[in-house]
Amino acid sequence: MANPLNLPMVGRSLRNLVSRPATRRYPTEIRPRFAGARGTIEFDVETCNFCMLCARRCPAAAITASREERYWAIEQLTCIGCGVCVDVCNKGSLSMSVNSRTVHTHADVGPQGQRPGHEEWRKPALAAEVPSGS
Amino acid sequence: MDKTTFLARVEEYHEAGWRLALINATTIMPGAGEGMEQGAFDVAWAFARGTELETIRERIMPGDEMPSISGSFGAAFLYENEMRELFGINVTGLGLDLKGQMYKTATRIPFAPSAIRARLEALGRAEPAARHGAAAAPAPAEKTA
Amino acid sequence: MKRTVIPMGPQHPVLPEPLVLDLILEDEKVVDAIPTIGYVHRGLEMMVERVEYTEMGFVVERICGICSFMHGMGYCVSLESIMNVEVPERARWLRLIWAEISRIQSHLLWLGLGADAFGFENLFMHCWRMREEILDIFEKTTGGRIIHSVNRIGGVKRDISDSELAAILVKLEELGAAFKQTAGVFGSDPSIAHRLGGVGVLTTEDARSVDVVGPMARASGIATDTRLIGANGYDQLEFEPVVETAGDCLARVVVRMREIDQSIDLVRQAIEKMPKGEGMPLENRPRGNPLGEVFTRLEQPRGEVLYYVKANGTKNLERFRARTPTFANIPAMIKLVKGCDLADVPNIIVTIDPCISCTER
Repeated sequence: MANPLNLPMVGRSLRNLVSRPATRRYPTEIRPRFAGARGTIEFDVETCNFCMLCARRCPAAAITASREERYWAIEQLTCIGCGVCVDVCNKGSLSMSVNSRTVHTHADVGPQGQRPGHEEWRKPALAAEVPSGS
Repeated sequence: MDKTTFLARVEEYHEAGWRLALINATTIMPGAGEGMEQGAFDVAWAFARGTELETIRERIMPGDEMPSISGSFGAAFLYENEMRELFGINVTGLGLDLKGQMYKTATRIPFAPSAIRARLEALGRAEPAARHGAAAAPAPAEKTA
Repeated sequence: MKRTVIPMGPQHPVLPEPLVLDLILEDEKVVDAIPTIGYVHRGLEMMVERVEYTEMGFVVERICGICSFMHGMGYCVSLESIMNVEVPERARWLRLIWAEISRIQSHLLWLGLGADAFGFENLFMHCWRMREEILDIFEKTTGGRIIHSVNRIGGVKRDISDSELAAILVKLEELGAAFKQTAGVFGSDPSIAHRLGGVGVLTTEDARSVDVVGPMARASGIATDTRLIGANGYDQLEFEPVVETAGDCLARVVVRMREIDQSIDLVRQAIEKMPKGEGMPLENRPRGNPLGEVFTRLEQPRGEVLYYVKANGTKNLERFRARTPTFANIPAMIKLVKGCDLADVPNIIVTIDPCISCTER
């Protein structure tokens, strides 16, 4: 039953010899993600007014912020990449980059013992805002 | 619940060619009404035939026996094991008894009224605004806004 | 005769998710099978206590990676039903298109797993290579390959422009043509016919008595399809349920292959019938909190999924229950496995298209 002169098979083998591979040579060749892909959340502390909407609306509770402390932090490893915070931010401080989050290891603990993937920012108050006589 | 009438109704559905679509229990918390100091369970049996869906609804008190419908619908054992394991409903006559090892939950009966109450208290559900966004950094006398 | 017990699982090459079946054998014949599940029970239904109803959609779509889109859609459809929100027309069509593309992706995944189950790894790779085209479509249109997060209560978050839709249709037609060759292999290869033909036969009467849903029922001659209810825009499309009568593993393969072609046809019809243009409303945001309860049924790739949602007027739902199709098909799986040969057990298990994470939530 096995025919050594199996012509369709011979044709296919010859075609495979000269054609390009069907796979990509990852990690040397990485396909860039498409525009609009949901990757990592990026934050610009300069424009943030600490309205706390992003922290309230985050489904995974990955964002913590404080209006009084002028402090904003995100746990990148808790973030599910849904993009709700980007949508609700009125100031455009949050944006979604297409690149996936970097890999974190257990050793990446923050200086105050924060979890790997913890990113925080503080925005110093302007001089005019500091109450006098404090 | 009147077991004989209930089982007869279920058998009617089976004879008429309906398919068992769902057996679901919902916990009713204690104090929701008369005679419900221990809470109760609202159980729904849903039957489907073609594009139609009909349900039988019964209220089961904790400790009440709930008869299995495996006599009419053999596929009911999975739903009934889940109800016994997650809700603590006393199901009698199970088709295939998975002996409480179906889900292997950490809390023994996670949807019992007492377990739900304990979780809601731990979440402090009276103050939903405090769930999200409270500062993680040390802050003096932080108010729950 | 002496009986041996062979535990199959929880890790096994044919299983996409962990499942244990203790197979009791006499010689090579399985006489009994005792299931144990619970390895991926994550208590997602309990999350309604912690997570508000606006956010629960994100939890629900993460019940399973393969059926993810329709879980999100089903949750949103249930809440829209409770809150009396009407979804804008273009959003409804977009959901339908994404749902059918999700069905194609799921069936291609399953065909690959099915081929891997009887050792045909080359075919597995071909099916998954085709599936990559679908995942690229999802990444371009929703931002994510597996978890899409485009469904919102009241509509969808993103639009697909008419030109993109035309390009998607071209891609799907190319896929359909390429798939014909793979389908030919499934149909004509003698080893596949030998391993799947006549194995795990579920007769029509047995199928009715164990209450199976989805392609399993359709492969046993029962013409049931939840899309025939006509909700969510399906009443505007023309299609017939794909039915085979043999009831064996090969019939289930054929049903799913024909459903891929059917889904491509449904996407083509949907793109023709949907309103064209830019800047149409996509979301009707509801106001207030939901109050009431509803049973919603959708046709997931594996069969009929039934959602029961009960809301009590607060921001947290009182009860959310997703009865997924595999939950309904597991009794059939146990019934089929009894009486078969040991070598056929992986084939039978994989032909019910088990999605254990959906079953256990």
